[in-house]
Amino acid sequence: MEVKIERGNDVVIAYMIGRLDTPASLEIAPQMNALADDAAGTVILDCTELSYISSSGLRIFITLRKAAAAKGGKIIVRNITNEIRSVFMMTGFLNLFEIQ
Amino acid sequence: MKRLGNLKALLLVIIAAVTLEATALVQLYFSQKGIREEADMRAESQLDATRNKIMDVIDQAEAAVRNSVWIAQWCMDYPDSLVLVCRRLVEDNPVVVGSTVALVPGYKARKPLFAPYVFRDGDELKTLSLATPEYDYPSKEWFTKPLELGQGYWSEPYVDEGGGEMLMTTFSIPIRDKNGTLAAVLTADISLEWLTELVGNVKVYPQAFSIMLSRSGRIMVSPAETLVMKKTVGEYVAQMDDTTGLTGLTQALMSGEEGSIPVQYKGATSYVYFAPVERTGWSMSIVIPEDDIYGSLRRIGGMVFFLQILGLLMIILMLRSFFKGQARYNALDQKRQRIEGELHIATGIQMSMVPKTFPPFPERHDLDMAATIVPAKEVGGDLYDFFIRGEKLFFCVGDVSGKGVPASLVMAVTRTTFRNLSAHEDSPGRIVKAMNDNLSAMNESDMFVTFFCGVLDLAGGNLRYCNAGHNPPMILTDAIRALPITPNLPLGIMGGYDFQEQEVPFHYDDAIFLYTDGLTEAENAEHEQFGEQRMKNALHGRKSAQEHLENIKEHVAAFVDGAPQSDDLTILFIHYLPTSLRLTLPNEIGQISQLPGFVEEAVKMAGLGQDLAPRLNLALEEAVTNVIDYAYPAGTLGKVELSADVTPGALTFTLVDAGVPFDPTARGEVDINASVEDRQIGGLGIHLVRQIMDEVKYERRGDNNVLILTKKY
Repeated sequence: MEVKIERGNDVVIAYMIGRLDTPASLEIAPQMNALADDAAGTVILDCTELSYISSSGLRIFITLRKAAAAKGGKIIVRNITNEIRSVFMMTGFLNLFEIQ
Repeated sequence: MKRLGNLKALLLVIIAAVTLEATALVQLYFSQKGIREEADMRAESQLDATRNKIMDVIDQAEAAVRNSVWIAQWCMDYPDSLVLVCRRLVEDNPVVVGSTVALVPGYKARKPLFAPYVFRDGDELKTLSLATPEYDYPSKEWFTKPLELGQGYWSEPYVDEGGGEMLMTTFSIPIRDKNGTLAAVLTADISLEWLTELVGNVKVYPQAFSIMLSRSGRIMVSPAETLVMKKTVGEYVAQMDDTTGLTGLTQALMSGEEGSIPVQYKGATSYVYFAPVERTGWSMSIVIPEDDIYGSLRRIGGMVFFLQILGLLMIILMLRSFFKGQARYNALDQKRQRIEGELHIATGIQMSMVPKTFPPFPERHDLDMAATIVPAKEVGGDLYDFFIRGEKLFFCVGDVSGKGVPASLVMAVTRTTFRNLSAHEDSPGRIVKAMNDNLSAMNESDMFVTFFCGVLDLAGGNLRYCNAGHNPPMILTDAIRALPITPNLPLGIMGGYDFQEQEVPFHYDDAIFLYTDGLTEAENAEHEQFGEQRMKNALHGRKSAQEHLENIKEHVAAFVDGAPQSDDLTILFIHYLPTSLRLTLPNEIGQISQLPGFVEEAVKMAGLGQDLAPRLNLALEEAVTNVIDYAYPAGTLGKVELSADVTPGALTFTLVDAGVPFDPTARGEVDINASVEDRQIGGLGIHLVRQIMDEVKYERRGDNNVLILTKKY
């Protein structure tokens, strides 16, 4: 699992690449926590290459989402696969995130 | 078959015998004829020669006497001088032993009887007078006959008693005086000792003898000297023991003609050749026993007959030995066929010891297997074997070097050893090592066995194997590839060799294809080999094990196209189709990465689409994470045993851990409709499990937490 973060002037894009399973979530937790600092602005989670997500990954997403909510920022989930979409659906995440 | 052979041999011998004997008989007939003609010729020529010699002497004697006639005539007027005539006759002619001139009585009035006789007595010549009343010469035959006949006369031979028992004859001739009056008889006594010698020495054949008869038939010369001058031939013949075969003999001899006559005496045949001696009235004959004539022929004939018998015997012996050889060959051939037959039976027995019933485990649905040995014409040493012990499939394929009896025996030993050792040993490496030690120890024939031994863990889905110099088996997964092989020695070459064991995961639907080089080295008429590539091509496609087997065999048959099979062809095909999978994970989060493979295989096993795999994986991951996070307190070691089982219409995952009692289902439902602010961060895991699975059940079994997740379809 790899996360590539691109910081622009008013938007931060995080490219989520690979499988976000439990071990991967632990692995990327520091990067994602750092991303919470950007949550006042717009954070785009690019999921084009995210093939899998488990509940621990979902937790990272919701943690970020809560931070954004607290800071008035915005989290956009971009290009989710059908598989991820179905997980989002099962967990009500489709309602929590702005999906592009 | 043998009887017919003997009959033929008998016929052959009979034909040979008949031919030989017929030839011999013809030869004998002509030889006999020739020899008889030869005997006739020899006898006749001897008779002739002897007769000529006799006649020489007779002529000489006669001539001597005749030459004295004119002197005697001349001396007639002076009778006293006549003694001189006699004297000269004896003196000049060695053959004449005595001589006389006897006056016809009354021819000289003064000498009514006058016969001076001169004879040889040793070296001297003596004279005496025959004109004595006792002797009475005018009555003697030698005197009367010439006068009567008016010509010379040869007397009957006689034995001269006075002159030393000599055989004698006398030639007398009448003498007339100048007036033609019969005046005297001049005689010459001639010794016939030379005759005995001459005739006695006539030896035509070893046992032949000659006889001289006088005019009256008296025996003059004969090998039986006692008979000489004692008997006539007629008297002699008449007193013989068996005269039936001698009929006509006397008459023939006395006939005065030349000829021959066969006589039988006491069962023995002789041929008598006879001829007269002119003037003397004698008859000379030669008696030749038939044995003498045909003796050599009979000896030769006997020899020939003996040689023929010998030849026939040799033919018979040769034929006998030929037919015996034939019989022995037939017996050997029968023996060979019997041994071959027995070997095939033995092979059959060995084959029946290896599993031959397919499917071998009808109660199991996790294995689809097929195997075959297509034996070459000669019995060979291929083998395969398999059995299940403790949820492990032990299997092997081997190829004994060489062919024939030794190979099949080694094959039997190899198989038995495999069975014995794998009965309580799970490691294929150790099984192969022990087999090698075993086979090397008793291997005195330098035979070796290429051998592959595999142990497939049917519950755990992994394959451990050890390859002892055998062709690498093919693994059929998504692709077809050769199983990675560490090169090891074949069995039976070096005891104590350390064999390397290998291991590969073996998943649902994986198959292993084991074979012997009889497959890849099957040759067509052009000596091209079937080869690995054709084999791989033939393995493509999804088929049952039996279909794979038949398909391969068809491919090979089509390739070789009737060319004779030179080596055994062995195939063992194992298709792994478990209905249950197991995976044991330590309680570490990192082990989560093993789940996708397990789930994918379980999905495959259940025959579900792979699109379902990530979701099922998610459920399983959540369940496992829960165990790791909650059942095992931080710092404690533990494990999670996972299993996936397919039952009709359902795929069930079971998680068993030995952690503290923890029931994830007891946790309340998370509110997925809560606002961001109200939203719980935890609780999503079990929520997802419930969402994905159709049934989620927790049980505490003894010291274990058991979570059962079922997906129906």
